[in-house]
Amino acid sequence: MSDTTATTTREELTGFERVPLRTRIVESPRPFLQWLAGLFALVAVEFGTYATLAFAMVERAFVGVTALVELLVGAVSGSATSTVLDIQAAGSTFLTGLTEWAGSLPTLFGRETIPNQGYMLGPNGPWKGTFLGLEPALAWALRLTLIVVYALFVSYWLFRGWKIYRDHYRQADWTPTDDMVGRLRGHRWGQFGILVLLLYLSMAIFGPALGPTTVEQNIQSSYSHEIKYYDTEAESVETVFVGEANFNSKSKGSGENVGPMTYDNYDRFHPFGTLSNGRDLFTFLMGGARITMIVAGMAIGIATLIAAILSMVSAYYAGSIDLGILTTADGIVSVPRLILLIMVSAVFANHWLGNILDGGFILALVFAFTTWPLLWRAVRGPALQVAQEEWVDAARSFGQRPRTIMRKHMLPYIVGYLLVYASMTTGGIIISLSALSFLGNGLGISAPTPAWGRAVSLGQSYVATSSWHISLLSGLVIVVLVTGLNALGDGIRDAIDPETESAEAEEAAAGGGA
Amino acid sequence: MNRLLYLFKRLLLAVPVFLFGITMSFMVLYLGPIDPVLNILGQDATPEDIHQLKVALGLIYQDGSTVPLWSQYLKVLTDLLTFDFGQSWIIQRGTPVGDLILNRMPVTLWLGFWSVVVALVVGIPGGLYAGLRANTWRDYIASGGGIIWRAMPNFWLAVMVVGLLSAGGLLSFYPDLWVSTDVIGTSDSVGNLFGSSQVFAGMPLLEAIWVPVPKWTNIATAIKWILPAALVLGSSSMGNEIRIGRTAVLESINSKYVETAKAKGVSGRRIVTKHVGRNALIPLLPIIMSEFYLLIGGSVLVEKVFSIRGLGNMFFRGVLGPDIPLVMALVFLFIIVQVTVNIAQDILYTFIDPRITLEDTER
Repeated sequence: MSDTTATTTREELTGFERVPLRTRIVESPRPFLQWLAGLFALVAVEFGTYATLAFAMVERAFVGVTALVELLVGAVSGSATSTVLDIQAAGSTFLTGLTEWAGSLPTLFGRETIPNQGYMLGPNGPWKGTFLGLEPALAWALRLTLIVVYALFVSYWLFRGWKIYRDHYRQADWTPTDDMVGRLRGHRWGQFGILVLLLYLSMAIFGPALGPTTVEQNIQSSYSHEIKYYDTEAESVETVFVGEANFNSKSKGSGENVGPMTYDNYDRFHPFGTLSNGRDLFTFLMGGARITMIVAGMAIGIATLIAAILSMVSAYYAGSIDLGILTTADGIVSVPRLILLIMVSAVFANHWLGNILDGGFILALVFAFTTWPLLWRAVRGPALQVAQEEWVDAARSFGQRPRTIMRKHMLPYIVGYLLVYASMTTGGIIISLSALSFLGNGLGISAPTPAWGRAVSLGQSYVATSSWHISLLSGLVIVVLVTGLNALGDGIRDAIDPETESAEAEEAAAGGGA
Repeated sequence: MNRLLYLFKRLLLAVPVFLFGITMSFMVLYLGPIDPVLNILGQDATPEDIHQLKVALGLIYQDGSTVPLWSQYLKVLTDLLTFDFGQSWIIQRGTPVGDLILNRMPVTLWLGFWSVVVALVVGIPGGLYAGLRANTWRDYIASGGGIIWRAMPNFWLAVMVVGLLSAGGLLSFYPDLWVSTDVIGTSDSVGNLFGSSQVFAGMPLLEAIWVPVPKWTNIATAIKWILPAALVLGSSSMGNEIRIGRTAVLESINSKYVETAKAKGVSGRRIVTKHVGRNALIPLLPIIMSEFYLLIGGSVLVEKVFSIRGLGNMFFRGVLGPDIPLVMALVFLFIIVQVTVNIAQDILYTFIDPRITLEDTER
């Protein structure tokens, strides 16, 4: 074990004793326990939301991975595939059960606790079924505000966790991370980016509770849900299918329109108005946030991982390995990304692989496949520089394994750059994903699962009419997120390296487009 | 190493890159779950028809045995390399793909040309302007505009622009600006205009530009038509150019050589053109070049929204068809453009910045 030898040597030289984090916490557990109790309470009040999301994601990932295994096994022997499929079905059923159980748990800011869907008992109220008898708009706004505040507080609490670690448990008095955080403190533009990212992440996590109604009720199976409303003509409270109510609440220009911040005829409040098919735009966009963040997150995660490994490999070994990776990267990039995406998406439109995660799974894979060359090219420069440093040479000369050298002596220096470029290229991924959904025809995220691009496409004919809100607002949702991600990238770049505001550093990230 | 040798070396390196791209597209199109026969003949085709079609498509031999994949691959590859693109399957069954592409190419080139021009004309001066007045409100407006331009999805911007132009209202007080009546007759909607326009069917545009004595009014009309779409297609590049131009100017304006030039009394204008501008071009070059890359993908969306009947639109219909020979030929062209642009960029680098040695540009 060359690692142990290395550590011993350093300890002997510096007199610096390595104590495991666990021991350090046991020595003075108070700050940690206080923080942990806070975190526990924060998670507990919304446990149902997190558990539902986690189980659902595990289920989708399980189906996706087993599907890929089935594809590989099927190439070797046909009989083994049925076994894989059996495992897949059993696991999927089990996890779906868990998801449903988690979904039935009450949450503090859930729509059961603060309901906003109600109906008027008379022509001018009072409201029944809403939180404290408030107007649906107010009840919804209250819930939205509480959830956003809660989400921001959770983020703060996590950051506080790092601060507690720094102040109480970290052995070093100072690390470069302290300076980076310090620089971000004065960086308003970067903070804007962090805020935007946090808001969209909370949209993705708490989406079902944020909308005035749910995707399930309003969009996916609107004819199996009923709502009550006060019918002004009949002067009584009536019951109607959500689908029917949607049908009569369409936004199609001047004739029929339910604009932003208005009620429709069924006592339903629409913060962003309705779509051209009568569905609630805000709920639709919240649903779109979830699938967008999942696909983009998966894609950028895989791409960053590949880029990190390959950039270090090509910097460490250089020569023909580097050339090989270069050729592969150039080859992948030689087909314009959107073109490749359209091809793959169209080819797999009716295939089961294209149905996992509503088509998002295969898109995430293609995005990862086409994004790593861009990241790799951007990080290869810094990686090459690190590989030529003396400490890498030193580590090599006393026989550290290449893997350890890369992880311990190279990775910390390129992680910052990776974050910068990852943040900036994610914007491009989100735009391309929406573009595919916009094109429709089986491309992108398949209906009825909400997707931002589809909302733009639904409002395409009504841009210049009184139903302008459909395309405009759904597009702005994309613009704000992409701007925020770019700001975040700028912020991280200035935080890791305040000296060079280099133009070269930007060019690789300047994807955009589509 | 002289430039010619370098060019040769770059071309040699481009061969595997090129093959990789083609192979990847081949695998998606030919190994993917597409049933061309079903798509061409429909559900109720006789076995003889299916057999004949399969033979014609090169999927099976006359005796019914399947053609191995590698031999299909080699055939596709050699056909592409000899520019023998075969016949369209779906879009216009039996028409040579080459004719279809030639017919649609002018419109897309026209669109691409103007989107590059618009982005360059607005983006680079905008970036220089912002950089030279760093941290003033003028700078914030210019670079803020760049950030927003860059974040706006092409397809959304296109939808907005088409909507506004066809709206009438505010923009209609001068309808002749966008809608010319002398060529396309009486049409008051831009969406309609682009869809039914004679100009974009291909030939009239060619005539407008290539006839021995060009009619200036025709060219002006053609430019006017393409400008909104070109503005949208060039939007993200424009944003990139503003931003990167700004940082590049800031970087070089604070450098020692600019200080020296100032000290020895070089005029401000000369410093900007000679010292700042040229150095700022170095990081801008890849952005300008990557614009072509964005154009190809973006043209699919922009042409669809603006109903321009160009290559991007045809590619989209071809993929949905699926018209595999057409799609394969288009992808082949896209790859050629991409690889050529890459090489051109590296060669151009050596001209703009002699410090960059030829070895360096191999990245």
